[in-house]
Amino acid sequence: MRIGIDVGGTHTDAVLLSGDSVVETCKVLTSADVMSGIVEALTRLQEKSALANSAKSIMIGTTQFTNAVIERRSLQPVAAIRLGSPSGRGLPPFVGWPEDIAEAIGGTVFELDGGYLYNGSELAPLNTAQLDTAINQLGRLNIEAVAITSAFAPMNAAPELHVNERIRQVLPQCRTTMSHEIGRVGLLERENAAILNASLLHFADYVINGIENALASVRLSCPVFISQNDGTLMDVSFARRFPALTFASGPTNSLRGAAKLTGLNDAIVIDIGGTTTDIGVLRGGFPRESNLVVEVGGVRTNFRMPDILAIGLGGGSRVNNNGLSVGPTSVGHELVSQALVFGGAVLTASDIAVAAGQASMGDRSRVRELNSDVVSNCLDTMGKMLASSIQKMNPGKTALPVVLVGGGAAIAPNTLDAGFEIVRPEHCDVANAIGAAIAQVGGEAERFISYNEIVRETAIEQVRSDATMKAVAAGADPDSVRVNDIEEVAIPYMDSGATRVRVKVIGEVAALNSYPTSAAVR
Amino acid sequence: MKLQEQHIQDLASGASFLATGGGGDPYLSLLCAQQSIKQYETADLISIDSLADDAVIVAVGSVGAPTTSLELLPSVDEPLIAIRAFERHTGLSIDAVVSFEIGGGNSLIPIVAAAAAGVPVIDGDGMGRALPEVQMMTYSIAGISPTPSIAVDYAGNSVVFENISVLEYEEQIRDFSMARGGIVTTVEFAMTVRELRQCIVADTVSLAIAIGEVLRLARGNALHLIQKLAPVFEPTSYGQLTVLFSGMVTDVATSVIGGYDIGYALLRADNNAEKQVRVDIKNEYLTVWEGDKLLTSVPDLITLLDTETGQPINSERLSFGQRVTIVGIGCPPHFRTPAALAVVGPKCFGFDFDFTPIEKLVY
Repeated sequence: MRIGIDVGGTHTDAVLLSGDSVVETCKVLTSADVMSGIVEALTRLQEKSALANSAKSIMIGTTQFTNAVIERRSLQPVAAIRLGSPSGRGLPPFVGWPEDIAEAIGGTVFELDGGYLYNGSELAPLNTAQLDTAINQLGRLNIEAVAITSAFAPMNAAPELHVNERIRQVLPQCRTTMSHEIGRVGLLERENAAILNASLLHFADYVINGIENALASVRLSCPVFISQNDGTLMDVSFARRFPALTFASGPTNSLRGAAKLTGLNDAIVIDIGGTTTDIGVLRGGFPRESNLVVEVGGVRTNFRMPDILAIGLGGGSRVNNNGLSVGPTSVGHELVSQALVFGGAVLTASDIAVAAGQASMGDRSRVRELNSDVVSNCLDTMGKMLASSIQKMNPGKTALPVVLVGGGAAIAPNTLDAGFEIVRPEHCDVANAIGAAIAQVGGEAERFISYNEIVRETAIEQVRSDATMKAVAAGADPDSVRVNDIEEVAIPYMDSGATRVRVKVIGEVAALNSYPTSAAVR
Repeated sequence: MKLQEQHIQDLASGASFLATGGGGDPYLSLLCAQQSIKQYETADLISIDSLADDAVIVAVGSVGAPTTSLELLPSVDEPLIAIRAFERHTGLSIDAVVSFEIGGGNSLIPIVAAAAAGVPVIDGDGMGRALPEVQMMTYSIAGISPTPSIAVDYAGNSVVFENISVLEYEEQIRDFSMARGGIVTTVEFAMTVRELRQCIVADTVSLAIAIGEVLRLARGNALHLIQKLAPVFEPTSYGQLTVLFSGMVTDVATSVIGGYDIGYALLRADNNAEKQVRVDIKNEYLTVWEGDKLLTSVPDLITLLDTETGQPINSERLSFGQRVTIVGIGCPPHFRTPAALAVVGPKCFGFDFDFTPIEKLVY
């Protein structure tokens, strides 16, 4: 028995699952403080089924941290310490960032000697006097969050660990993120990820304390897990340290939830919300990841993220021009007061769906007088918007089945021109919460290794072992961990057999199998 | 033309398309170029015809393993340090700079240099694509010596190479870059406009900007983008764009042999599981085979695009499960002469056949 919760911008959804089957679902409005919405959703679930009280674990997906970065709120000032001088002159930390977020986070930077080269020799020795001066300045500026990044840290993290230790000794109140803990090869992207993560540490405590208080107030004491961007989970103590790993977990959960609800491994998933529609692709039961570097709030990172096409169409989209134009503006969470069927004065996509008999919400009599041409025009417009986006995302020439999920799924027409089969699974309105509930625990590790010095099989085994340790640390049952992906990249022009090896592993949540009372594994 | 921020972004994107899988991710060079045009006045992109015959040109760019610069960051001042050291050592005063190769990050380094040194950058390059070695540049093929040259490492130290043959230089500059962190910035090929005019692949910087503009504005799948790109290539000396294959990557096997990333990728067709093609790789994509039938080979261009987004995929990012569309493009005529094919033809990459142009292979 487990509970999945999705805290979205408009709704907080909760589902109760027994093994693989859905027992109960509920949907409440997201509260401004987030936590009372969770309490309300859980209380409803408990009212619907007493089985909710025997849940062995709770999985939560939240867009709180992504939204904080996108909206530039709840971010704390961060000092970025980079160990890589004398390389990178003129490309300091925060280079290429949008100005508003660089300002929100502070832009205090230290470029110090240190780091390694590809061949394992020092780029420059650490300079103790330089480091001490920097740490003194951190103290004077009262900076409480620090991101530490060293050249080739994925190969040799010693400089980052050394600086981290010095900061811990001198400024024990300072919280740190070391780049090798959060990112892969690619210094700037890894540094950006570490800075974003450090800026969210304070907010992470606030959110996770709130989640824990919410659960305590409804007397649920089972372990809690948070969804990550790759569809896997982390426990709360890990999430307190790595809130940035929740970026893009929302679309991932809706894709995974759609896979679970339909049994389809290969499909196009359309998640229609209040304001936007996210279109993603399921491949082998998992979200297709973007091949491109992913920006979060305009900041370039190398997080693993699903490849999503977002369009401005949702249940709250305004209908204009006799139905020939829909969106991108939306009434958003004011749908329940502004839409015609709810007694408001704005014609929205939801009103059209009710008038066409596709959805039942509010008072249908309020749209009875609507011109039937407007209704059919609008359905046609929305169908065309969806069909052209689906065609952009469809891999290959065969049309994949299209799965509709999300609170706004009812606005989509029943057929699409392009010959795509449409699937509307039961419980499709809470697919995100289901995706959160069925997630697994993952771990990823990466190293530069010379195959001339270490035999290839041994090398991959070492990296696999690093990845497994990370997965277990994030809450996986060690016996269920399996390799999900191995990536080897030889470094061009180098004569030493140098190879970049990356391994990703995935396992079941330990608490599902063994029901421990605590998931404090770190 | 004064190069603006948008031109430079489009150039970075278009240079990936012309890089034929190699040349490295141009993002870091793009950042350097953006910082350089912010710090100095922006660079002027000029036609070679606007300079006097005896004006002095140098080629500037990076040599080494682009993957290592993901961690060993380049410095914005490296190209200027190299140019000033070159001028001090040779006593020459440089009138303009030009690119080694339009493919990848090396398309942008001359802009970093030009803005900092206050000289224009010439619209053109020495390859029209990306290739791994110095003797493969049209400058070398035309008999211009790459030395005297200056190489600058990550710490800003510079060294001089002088009076050696092209092949010896290739070996020594490779050794130097490996000894200094894997990547260095060099200034090579001091030449007059008269000499450069004989061998430049002209107008490739503006071509790459135009390609990048299409990639930015015409979002959509690969086939859609190729239709939009066809008119961009129409007036150039390149051949036409030909879609060779569309399918999923089923295996990528590469390893480092003799200092290069050598191997192959196998792909299975979207519409026919029996149909497989193989792409041979030596940093760049070299050949496409369907069974034992050759579809395209170096020096014609082979570009792999993400089928769904149309974005070019570099060989170091090619991986199992990706859906890609393979496009072949006839190379500029510079590489189709017997003298050029002697250094860039299939046999120079270890194949045992002579070059056949793409238009004879697939039509």
